[in-house]
Order: sequence, then C-alpha cells, then structure tokens
Amino acid sequence: MLPLISKAQAADELDSEQAFFLELPVVLTASRLTQPVDEAPNAITIIDRQMIKASGFRRIPELLRLVPGMYVGSQNGHSMFASYHGTTDNFSRRMQVLVDGRSVYLPPYSMVIWDDLPVLLEDIERIEVIRGPAAASHGANSTQGVINIITREADNFVPNEVTVRQGGNGIKDASMTFARRGESFSQRLSAGYRADGGYDLPQFTDDNRTSMFNWRTAYHPNGEDAFDFQTGYSQSVRGDGIVGRNQAPDRNLLTEHDYAQLIWTRALADGAEWQLRYHYTHSAYDDDQVSYYRDGVNLYPKVNVQTRRHDIEAQHTASWSTGHRLVWGGGARLDGVSSTSLFYYHPAPTLRQWRVFAHDEWRMQHDWLLNVGAMWEDDGMGHHNVSPRVALNYHFTPNHTLRIGASLAYRNPAVIEEYGNTDPLTPGGFLASGGLQPERMLAREIAYLGHFPETGWMVEARLFSDHLRGQIYLDPLRNASGGFNNASFKNLYLVRYSGWEGSLKYQQEGNALTVNFSRQQAACEADGLPTWISDTRVKGWFDEWLRQCPKAVPTNAGSVLAEHHLTQTLAISAGYYYQDEVQVLDAQRPQTFMHRMDIKITRSFGKRGVASGGEVALVMQNMFRDTHTEYANLPQQGYPSLDRRAYLLATFLY
Amino acid sequence: MTAVPTFSPLSYTNILPRKSEHRIALIRWLVLVCSVLSFQTLQAAPLKVSLALSEEREVYRAFESALRDSLDAHQEIQILPSGNVAQAELIVAIGAQAANDFRGSSIPVLNVMVSRAGLEKIGRDSNSGSSGIYMDQPMARRFSLLRAALPQTKSVGVLISNESPQLAAAKQLSSASGYRLHIQTVATPDHLASSLSALLADSDVLLVLPDAEIYRSDTIRNILLESYRQQVPMIGLSQNYVRAGALCAVYSTPLQIAEQTARVVAQFAKTGKLPDYQYPHEFEVSVNTQVARSLGLTIKSAEQLRIEIGGNP
Repeated sequence: MLPLISKAQAADELDSEQAFFLELPVVLTASRLTQPVDEAPNAITIIDRQMIKASGFRRIPELLRLVPGMYVGSQNGHSMFASYHGTTDNFSRRMQVLVDGRSVYLPPYSMVIWDDLPVLLEDIERIEVIRGPAAASHGANSTQGVINIITREADNFVPNEVTVRQGGNGIKDASMTFARRGESFSQRLSAGYRADGGYDLPQFTDDNRTSMFNWRTAYHPNGEDAFDFQTGYSQSVRGDGIVGRNQAPDRNLLTEHDYAQLIWTRALADGAEWQLRYHYTHSAYDDDQVSYYRDGVNLYPKVNVQTRRHDIEAQHTASWSTGHRLVWGGGARLDGVSSTSLFYYHPAPTLRQWRVFAHDEWRMQHDWLLNVGAMWEDDGMGHHNVSPRVALNYHFTPNHTLRIGASLAYRNPAVIEEYGNTDPLTPGGFLASGGLQPERMLAREIAYLGHFPETGWMVEARLFSDHLRGQIYLDPLRNASGGFNNASFKNLYLVRYSGWEGSLKYQQEGNALTVNFSRQQAACEADGLPTWISDTRVKGWFDEWLRQCPKAVPTNAGSVLAEHHLTQTLAISAGYYYQDEVQVLDAQRPQTFMHRMDIKITRSFGKRGVASGGEVALVMQNMFRDTHTEYANLPQQGYPSLDRRAYLLATFLY
Repeated sequence: MTAVPTFSPLSYTNILPRKSEHRIALIRWLVLVCSVLSFQTLQAAPLKVSLALSEEREVYRAFESALRDSLDAHQEIQILPSGNVAQAELIVAIGAQAANDFRGSSIPVLNVMVSRAGLEKIGRDSNSGSSGIYMDQPMARRFSLLRAALPQTKSVGVLISNESPQLAAAKQLSSASGYRLHIQTVATPDHLASSLSALLADSDVLLVLPDAEIYRSDTIRNILLESYRQQVPMIGLSQNYVRAGALCAVYSTPLQIAEQTARVVAQFAKTGKLPDYQYPHEFEVSVNTQVARSLGLTIKSAEQLRIEIGGNP
C-alpha cells in the first residue's frame, strides 16, 4: 500500500549517498521529447489542456477552430468535419488524424468520424496540429496536415476526475477517470457519456448520445523497456435526416468503434531507442434506413459498413553522428472493408499497404537546422509514392527563427472512390470505374517564429503556397448505361492555395491569450475532364464546380481565446470565432459570416490540480446570438445554426 | 663517523683491560645503532593506509582503483593488503557502510564517497580523529549552476520528505539569490503525485535534493515525466539524472574525488594531521541538450557552464 515508505524504511539508513550513484532509466527518450516548434520542419499548433478547458467546447473537432486556417463544419448537431484550407465536402479526406499515433483516418471514405472516437475530452493531454504535409514523419495521407491527439498515459501524475455537464439543448455529459499507479505497472480507466439534442431546428433529427470507455496500462519491467497498452470502445446513437422527407428520412445511425494498441519502447545507450507498435481498429456504421417505409415500399437500403485495420510499425531513433538525429522505420497495414450497400456487386479488396520512412534532423551549426525526410509507400492499389520533405530553420537569434520548407505528399484514393459500387437503390449511387491516381500535394512555405520569454509572448507567421493536383471528385456521368449508378470518380481538379496565417500566444501567471488568423485564397482549374464533358449538363456541372471552388475557402478566418484569473478562485475565459462566408463544395448554399463568442466563468475550489479540489463553471456558447448558418447539404426549411446555449459544468478531483 | 674504528677486533682487544671505557663504548654504540635505526624509520617507513570498501559495488571498485593509481605516485604511502586494518595508520573508508564500521576507531579515518547527510547520521563529531570528502556538491555551487544555466528563473521548487541540512542551505541561498523557494513536503508516497503537480505548477525549476524516500529508480520516471509535462526543467544530482532526462547537473567523478583523497592522504603522511571535512574541489557539469531544446531553452554548453561556476579551465 505504501511502497515508497516501506521500502525506504527497509533500506539502509546509511544509504543516503546512493542518491548520487542511483542507476536511472532513460525516461525522456528521443521519441518522447517533442521537437520544439521553432525546430520543427512544419508549422505546428498546439492545443493544450488549459486551452481545451478554457474553450468550453465539448467535441474534439470544435477545438480545431483554434487552428489558423482550419475550417470546421457541422452537418448537424453531431457530425462535424474539419479541413485545413477548406475546399471540402462533408467527407473531409485530406488530413491524417492520429490518436496516440494510431491513425483513425479510416476506409471506406478515408475520413474521420469524430463522434465515434473513443476519446474523452478529459483524457486529452494536448492536440498537436501540423499545418502542411508531413508524410515523412507521420505517414501516408497526411496530405494537408496531421491532427495528433495525445491522451494521458496510465502513469501520468494526475488526480482522478469526475466531470458532469448539464445544460440547454439536452446537454448531458458525464465522465470519470480512475488511475492506479504502481512502481512498474500502472493503469488508467476512463469512461464517459456525451449527449445532446443537436441543433434547435424542429424538423432536424440530430439528437445524439455516445458512450465510451478506455483502459490504458503502462508497464516498465526494467529501465530499458516500456510497454504501453490501450484498448477502448465507443457506441453511439445519432439521429439523422429530416422529419417527413423521402430522401434522408429521420432515423438513427448506430455506430461502434473499438481498438487496441500496444507500443513497446526500448531505450538504448546514448538516447537511441527502438519502438514497435501494433494496433487494431474496428468500426461499424449502421444506417438503418430500411426502417423507413412509405406507402408500404422499402425506399432505401440499409447502409452497413464494417471496417477493420491492422497496422504494425517499427521505428528506430538515434543520433548517428554529431548533430544528426535520425528517425527511420517501416510499417505494414491491412485495411479491410465490408459493406453490401457500398460494394453491392463486388466486394472491396483488402488493401495491403507498406511503407518505409526516414527523417534526419541535422544541426549543421548552432543556429542552422536542416530537416530532411521521405517516405516510400505502396498503397495496396498499385501506386508507389515517394513523399519527401525538406525544411531549413535558421535561428538568427536564439529566440527568432526563419523557416523555409517544401514538401510533396499524396492522398491515396479512398476505397470507395476506387472500388465503390453501390446498391442501385442508394440515392446518389455510383459505380467506380477505378484507375484513379493519388492526389499530389506540393507545399511551400516561409515562416517566422519569435519568442519573447521576458514578456511571455510567442509569434508565428507564415506565407504558404500549396498546389493540390489531381483532386478526385465525382465524375457525374461515367456509366451512361449504369442505371441509377451512373456516377464514378475521377482526378479532375488542380487547386492552388495561397495566403498567410499567423498566431500570437501569451502566457504569464496562469493568464493566457491565443490569437489566430488566416487569410487565404484558392484558384481552381481543370486537371482532367469528366467523361461526358460533351453532355451540356455535365459541362454545366463541371463549370459550376470550378466557379464555386474558390468560395470553398473562407477568405478571412480567425479565433481568439483568452483566459484571465480575476482572483485565486475565479477565472473568466472567452473564445471568439469568426469566419467569412464559405461555400462548402456539396452544400446547398453558403454558410454566412460567423461571428461567435463563447464565455466561460469558472469558480475553483481546493488546491489547483490536487485531489479534493475541483471547479464549477458556467459556459455560454454563442453568447451574443450570432445568426450565422452552418453547413447544410439538403434542401430544407431553415438552415442549422447554433443558438445561444448554456451549460453548467462541475469537476471534482479525487 | 669517528667511532667506527673502535669496533675493529684489533682495537677491541687493545682496549679490553679498560673496563669502564668498554662500557661507555658499548652504550655509545647502542645509542648510535638505535639512533641510526630510528632515523631510518623516520625517513623511509611509509604511512600504512588501509582502504575499506563498504561493499562490492562497481562505483566503489572504480573509486578504489582510481585511488590506488593516484597513491602509487607517493612513495611515502603504503597501501596495506585489504582487510589489514590493525596495522593501519590511516583508514580510508569508502562509502557509508565503511564509515559506520570505523566510527569511533582509534586509528584516524578518512571518509570518502559518502554524503554529508550520511556522515551526519553516523555522527562524525563523535570521532575527532576523522575527516572526509563529501559526495555532495556545495549548495552554493548548485545554485551557481542554476543561475548560469537558467537565468530567467524566479521560483525554485524542492520536494522533500524531511528537513535536512541541504534544505537549510537551499533556503539560505534562495533568499540570498532572490529566488522564491517552494518547498513541498511529501507526507506519504500516495501524495507524491499530487504534491509534485502542485509544486511544479508554482515552480520554474525542480531542484533535486538528495532524498532516498523521494528520488528512487522506481519513482524517477513519474517525476521526470510529470516535470516534462509541465515544462519544468529538473536540476539533478549526477550524470545519471541528466541521462534520464534532467536538464543539467554538477557532480564530481570518482576519479576526481580519488585525486582529492590522494592529496589529503599525502598531506596526512607529511603532517600527521587530517584537514577538516571538505567538499569536492574538482567537478563536472553535464547538460541534456535534447531536453533543453525540447523545452525551448537556450542553454550554454556544459563546458561553458563549468567554467562559469568556477571550474578550472
């Protein structure tokens, strides 16, 4: 029960000089030490716990509003999507999303279903967002960026926590974490429930509830080896559709997500280390449209998708010569999808993917740092890509850095884009003709980073130019004889993004301020032609897409998050989010200018961050009742928007 | 040597009848022999030193071997075979166990490879014939390193289980240097986690004080991870701490302490007196540059820091 004291008592009282000879394991190993933002080869935004708490947000994608240049949309009260640089439809396909290094960017759509992730907000340590391609260090499909969600480890020194939220629109959340830390074995259990009634529109069915649990263990049998095992499960019921409609009727979506991951790290001499990682992910999506009958006829087929992924990766980190730090490794992945509604005539093949990667950080001189890396991959569809990246960081003074970088990255076609063949009864069905090429992203940037330690300010600004070639989109009339399924997919567009973005951060004595801004534009042109371009309807559709495409990027967007401690126990935080009008590619009409303000007032009790302490808070979202509309891709009466809502939060640490 | 001819058998025979003269000569001879012998003893008989190891341990062996090498240069010092303590004129007690074994010994003892706290527990004042070289660095030197390595520091955190002389020194130096010293006492091990989190929230740096109840090979992991998580650098006690993930440490190697020990032993051989207890004179500084970078700290090189805090160029 009291291992430390009993051991200490048993230990020789005279052994106090052992403090100086103590053999200690290498704890802060190379892979554990994060690269400081001014030495990284990419622009990085970090959303830490303090920001997560101050924002008052309840869902992970909402937090991404705190990333410059990130568009966050919501199809309804629960199904959100995030896309760096916008230009997306509600299947956001160009960002890699990792949870503790495990990719949750899943087939068949190659997207992330955020509400399914068995990740409790209370478990998140921080979210690191890489703005720009980072295939060399984060694997395939990190085409526009990487969102890496890092959760608390089993042996983190944090008190257990119970959190409850309750408020308007049926907000009812509860979560609990429980950890047991031992000398060599620790475990952490967390479970939670999140529910709300979605948006206020009465004809909108979007009430939702998600339950989840996670179990994580850390085992350190000796000084060299560490084993991190995690497993988790989530189950979600989400209302979808519109009351009284034939297309997209109101019904429930049932989803499940479960996973297990084991990471074995072995520390070697001189800070080098080996890491072996295996994970398994299963997700199931069950859209029970079959329950919708009209006049005794079953109008829509049931959509059921099962996805299974196995992934194994080995990685070695070492300093192979003075000034060099090399990370290299390789991995294999098996992606299997089964769905009778999406793969009606032919099942989707199981994809066997391979990758090898190497990244070298070369400190050429004290103030010059060169990051060079590349990844080679076989996407299992017959494509072999090499994604290189090079960035030069120059610290012209120790606290001021210039970075210039270029990288190339690919997005492999989604399984559904390459192999989809839907049930002929599915509205908007398609029959993929295959033969797609990966989308190719060329990104270039110049950035400045400044740090003013005396005053607690940090500045980051960058100019970027990203070219996305061969963007895959719907080929609306591919199979003239395909019956209902006459659409396919094709590499059709070239989009050039350019602009600048910046952030300003201040932190001093617990008070914090973050300001993000981005100004960007997209220029879109044809990089291929739809099969039946001779058809006037197809031509009209294609031209319309090209005309709308630049509007799919909000010209100006930004966010401000401020936290101020009025007294020892009273704090106020405010989040302000704005975004110019934006036309999401598949939306019925543009989203109007957003000008939203959230306020959180927190009263804490007990000692900060210590068991038996805690806080109660009032969160008001869209405080000033801004009337902006959200994304909507169905013709409907009224458009979803977030009205002012408030909830109470109570957290108790034990 | 005028007396030498009197020893010849011939002259002996010649003087034989003169009995009184014979007696005087004999005494003179004995005095001479004795004086010659005793003169030779003072000049050539080396100081007998016994090295007593606490236990078979790599670090003690390394020290012993370094000490033997250093003492080899001194002909006036003889190292007795191990275990031969009875004939020793000076015992070098290596480690705390040996210090305890020879506590109150009538033979002078030089305690080395032992912490100040350990020696104080044994009660060094009970044996006035002993002295020693502490393993610890003087607290002032550790504070010099703190100032040189992290000039922005305003508040220093220490985690303790008990009051100690180190803590008293840290308190004194903090107020002299204008640092806020946050002291967190860990009542029971269950409180280590919460005590540490609370301490780190208020501290710019975590200064490790030797404390066997807090800093152990099985707790260091969590302590380092938590301090890294809260972006608070740790100032360790040894190179092992730095390797594990502490930002920096000032420490003396067994070789440096062995050389200092050899100098003290040689001084004893010459004067018959042991100097007072002392701290290591020579030291090294170690810096974990990867940790520094990751914490976004600009830190001088280990060698620059060593010179800056008074190390020999």
